[in-house]
Amino acid sequence: MTTRAASPNPFLEDFAAHAAELPGVGQPWLDARRADAIKLVRAQGIPHRRIEDWKYTDLRSALEGTNDPGKAPSVARLRNAVEQGIEVFEFKGDAPKWVVDGFGVIGIDGTMSAASFALAQSTIALHVPANAKPAKPLEYEFSGQTRLLIVVEAGAAVTLLETPIGGDDSFSNAGIEIVLYEGAKLNHIRTASNAASAIVLEDLTVQVASAAQYRAHFMSTGTKLSRTELHVTLEGKGAEAHVSGVSVLGDGRHADVTTHIVHAAADTRSTQLFKDIAGGHSRGVYQGKITVAEGADGSDSRQTAKGLLLGVHAEIDLKPELEIYADDVKCAHGAAVGDLDVESLFYLGSRGIPEAEARALLMRAFLGDAVDEIENADIRASVWSKVEAALAKATEAKP
Amino acid sequence: MSAIRETADQVATLGEKYKYGFVTDIEMEVTPKGLNEDVVRLISGKKNEPEWMLEWRLGAFRRWKEMTEPSWARVHYPKIDYQNSSYYAAPKANPKLESLDEVDPKLLETYAKLGIPLHEQKLLAGVAVDAVFDSVSVATTFKKKLGEAGVIFCPISEAIREHPELVKKYLGSVVPVSDNFFATLNSAVFSDGSFVYVPKGVRCPMELSTYFRINASETGQFERTLIIAEEGAYVSYLEGCTAPMRDENQLHAAVVELVALDGAEIKYSTVQNWYPGNEEGVGGIFNFVTKRGDCRGRDSKISWTQVETGSAITWKYPSCILRGDNSVGEFYSIAIANNYQQADTGTKMIHLGRNTRSRIVSKGISAGHAQNTYRGLVSVHPKAENARNHTQCDSLLIGKSCGAHTVPYIESRNPSARIEHEATTSKIAEDQLFYCTSRGINQEEAVALIVNGFCKEVLQQLPMEFAVEAQKLVGISLEGSVG
Amino acid sequence: MLEIKDLHVSVGGKEILKGLNLSIGAGEVHAIMGPNGSGKSTLSYTLAGRVGYDVTGGSIIYKGEDLTALPTDARAAKGIFLAMQYPVEIPGVTTINFFKTALNSQRRARGESDLDAVSVLRLVRGKAAALKVPEEMLKRALNVGFSGGEKKRLEILQMALFEPSLAILDETDSGLDIDALKLVADGVNALRAPDRAMLVITHYQRLLNYIVPDRVHVLSAGRIIKDGGKELAHELEAKGYEQIIKDAA
Repeated sequence: MTTRAASPNPFLEDFAAHAAELPGVGQPWLDARRADAIKLVRAQGIPHRRIEDWKYTDLRSALEGTNDPGKAPSVARLRNAVEQGIEVFEFKGDAPKWVVDGFGVIGIDGTMSAASFALAQSTIALHVPANAKPAKPLEYEFSGQTRLLIVVEAGAAVTLLETPIGGDDSFSNAGIEIVLYEGAKLNHIRTASNAASAIVLEDLTVQVASAAQYRAHFMSTGTKLSRTELHVTLEGKGAEAHVSGVSVLGDGRHADVTTHIVHAAADTRSTQLFKDIAGGHSRGVYQGKITVAEGADGSDSRQTAKGLLLGVHAEIDLKPELEIYADDVKCAHGAAVGDLDVESLFYLGSRGIPEAEARALLMRAFLGDAVDEIENADIRASVWSKVEAALAKATEAKP
Repeated sequence: MSAIRETADQVATLGEKYKYGFVTDIEMEVTPKGLNEDVVRLISGKKNEPEWMLEWRLGAFRRWKEMTEPSWARVHYPKIDYQNSSYYAAPKANPKLESLDEVDPKLLETYAKLGIPLHEQKLLAGVAVDAVFDSVSVATTFKKKLGEAGVIFCPISEAIREHPELVKKYLGSVVPVSDNFFATLNSAVFSDGSFVYVPKGVRCPMELSTYFRINASETGQFERTLIIAEEGAYVSYLEGCTAPMRDENQLHAAVVELVALDGAEIKYSTVQNWYPGNEEGVGGIFNFVTKRGDCRGRDSKISWTQVETGSAITWKYPSCILRGDNSVGEFYSIAIANNYQQADTGTKMIHLGRNTRSRIVSKGISAGHAQNTYRGLVSVHPKAENARNHTQCDSLLIGKSCGAHTVPYIESRNPSARIEHEATTSKIAEDQLFYCTSRGINQEEAVALIVNGFCKEVLQQLPMEFAVEAQKLVGISLEGSVG
Repeated sequence: MLEIKDLHVSVGGKEILKGLNLSIGAGEVHAIMGPNGSGKSTLSYTLAGRVGYDVTGGSIIYKGEDLTALPTDARAAKGIFLAMQYPVEIPGVTTINFFKTALNSQRRARGESDLDAVSVLRLVRGKAAALKVPEEMLKRALNVGFSGGEKKRLEILQMALFEPSLAILDETDSGLDIDALKLVADGVNALRAPDRAMLVITHYQRLLNYIVPDRVHVLSAGRIIKDGGKELAHELEAKGYEQIIKDAA
């Protein structure tokens, strides 16, 4: 095993430096899980483009620049939790049962989720009691290596608004585990990082019990390299996941959204709607995999991914994947990449609308149905204003 | 009745589930098992090949030794021991044949069973056949008529000797020697295959057809096919494949290269019915094939149509490189996997030129415990102004223990390009089956009817007579899959 | 021709037909009328042998033979035809090819030889004209994109083609305008014959103005609760199901 010396793994160095100061260190259950996670990081190494799932997002080469994970300060801020009756545990003292049951149990499969679990210095766990319906969205901001566990008890409903706040050249790797019990509902909105040269990674794992619902919207303007990876398991009968997103990319931006939704129980439903606009030198990636397990009869799964390229230096890669092991299912996916519709442009022009304005109008229309998936009106409006700003940047970039 | 129609009818007479499972008892010359430079030299020597060809093979063999078998496809099989197979098998006593009368009558009998019209009296009926039996081309009919049109249609071993300038120019120009593990292996040890050259402006006067058959046990078959259509030329080529029933797995690693120059069109159809193994998944052919067409000229067109019902494992992605402006690539596929078959098949459409267009229609049917994957890439490069692609990918599941998977890769780097992909997954509806049976059609026939309807868009692309054969094949492949 | 005795049928574990008795002689046309949920469609599917319609008691004797164990296609070969309320679409299979496959399947089951494509086409053409089924329709995929009227005409065309001994018409009038209804009814009337029995299942009396039945039966909650001549249909139309059911109770 000479490879370790040849290519140092920054995450392992990071672990060595911070191991003793990690939150909750000394609790045997946690130490053991962290050790397992670090083993995984060691075994799998840094993801690169020869690994099928990272084909379009080469983290290894991006890390060769300035973004040193070891130096990234770990910050996690949470608002609107305690005052709305949500239990918050910050790994001081003995962990309650709901933390031990969930934390690091469901959401460790790849290097990056394992790394955030083992290395995060900012670690928070949230517990939404049964049937609670806090009115204000929980606000979560993060940078560096962070880890979050959210347990939503039966019948509760909560909104999570999440924002990466790392500055230029920063490195963030957020790991989030979400457990939704029977009939629970989580509205999850993730907005974009403003730092062009940042690397922002996020790995989300969601377990959805029967009749529970996970809704998510990922708004991205891209960074030097950003990737949101979502794993949803629809575990109970009638569980649902509805995921949407828009990526509006200006020059030098890269945004990758990778999803895997597993229909593990009967009568589960999922929808996905993703829209990408790529201008300048940029790359938009959507990889969406749907698995319908044997016996998950009555599953209904729909997936649409569409891309719009604004110039010859931009690239959009779509990989909508179906993996079906049950025959009584409804599964369909559609994907398309193209330009704005010439007919529509002409029509708007004939009504006196200048071309630039007509294009902007059609681009907003293109993105519209995905943004409209956001249920909370205030958040929807704030996402729209970010989309508008990103659109202006994406279109101004030299083609 | 045309000979080709007769072929189709003979194939259609279904006595047993796998009707091609017979072994022909003729004396074979088989090299010892194992693969090394001496074996490569021996194959080259058997073919009386010129020195440059031997060097080409040895170069490939050396590259191959450095390569590792790919593992990304959704197929699972025990590790293949490449030293435990024989790389050359030929019917003994194989002098150059002057007429069909000299062919071993047992061989002709085999072809009669396969339904290939090889006899002189049938020659007028309309199809030119190059039959590849294990490793050598046995006889090529219709040579004269084709010769008059200037079309060269012969075993590739013969082309290497008789038309070295063409072979040198085009062999490996579409599928490079080191393209992938199986293609490189093929480059080292290919024993025969077909060669077609259609000169400028010539519309090939007949459908060309090759029948491949694996007969000997513990041998691999590595045929190599090269088709060149010069400016404005047209050719339609069909291949059919069968193999006897055996408990062991046999390797088939073919390479097919197509080159279409300005305004040329090549239509390549395959009906693949290699032995799929038995109901428990024992035996069957491992079909690892590299097929690629290069639309090298402007306004050229390459169209792949495949009906894949056989093989224990299919690993195959007939592709088009759309290099010439306005060139067109098409891929029409039916892949049926029953029992324990595994298929990972699809296409790649690489748009390089302006106004290039491609169309993909894939129909996958899974039954029994089979796993059937469509894997396809549509890639648009920055210079491919106004490129267009449309992909329709439909899967049909029959039963609860099989899997149907769709893995499309869409990569676009030109804003004026338009790529559209649609995929659906469904099962045969109970009300469709009831409707058919209530009109007196039995269950199995009803399944065949519905599945054929599901596949219709692809079946329509086959030459008429082969469409009939293919339709029957669809029915047989799914026997026992319902109820 | 058909003798149904004390028929009990369950669908998905729920009993729908609860002791139904019905006797139809050769050459007769019977109508079964009943409100929604009374078991009309269950009866037609049971006669055709659809999987999932479990006969839990009683018997169906057709031409002296008990049908209950026979699969659907074997019943069709013996001359039982069901014109469906919602004919099924089968993409990619042309109508004419479907006709040929069905016709030859039935012939083979009866030990007769296959008809070739030309003979089938000739046969179909002769019968299609009367039902105003244009040749172009025969080349399209079976029922795919056809209007309600077109689908029903194709059902009757198949009835003419297969020449069944027992034809069951399940809500053949549903979704038809008055012209289409007449056309379909004329087609059915032309097929009335001394050796053929028909069972017309309908919710409304309207269809029975055009296909005049010899006997009318009222089905309610899985049983025949009243029998009568064709005038019973008019009585139903006048009084409504509710009243008739009350009277019968």
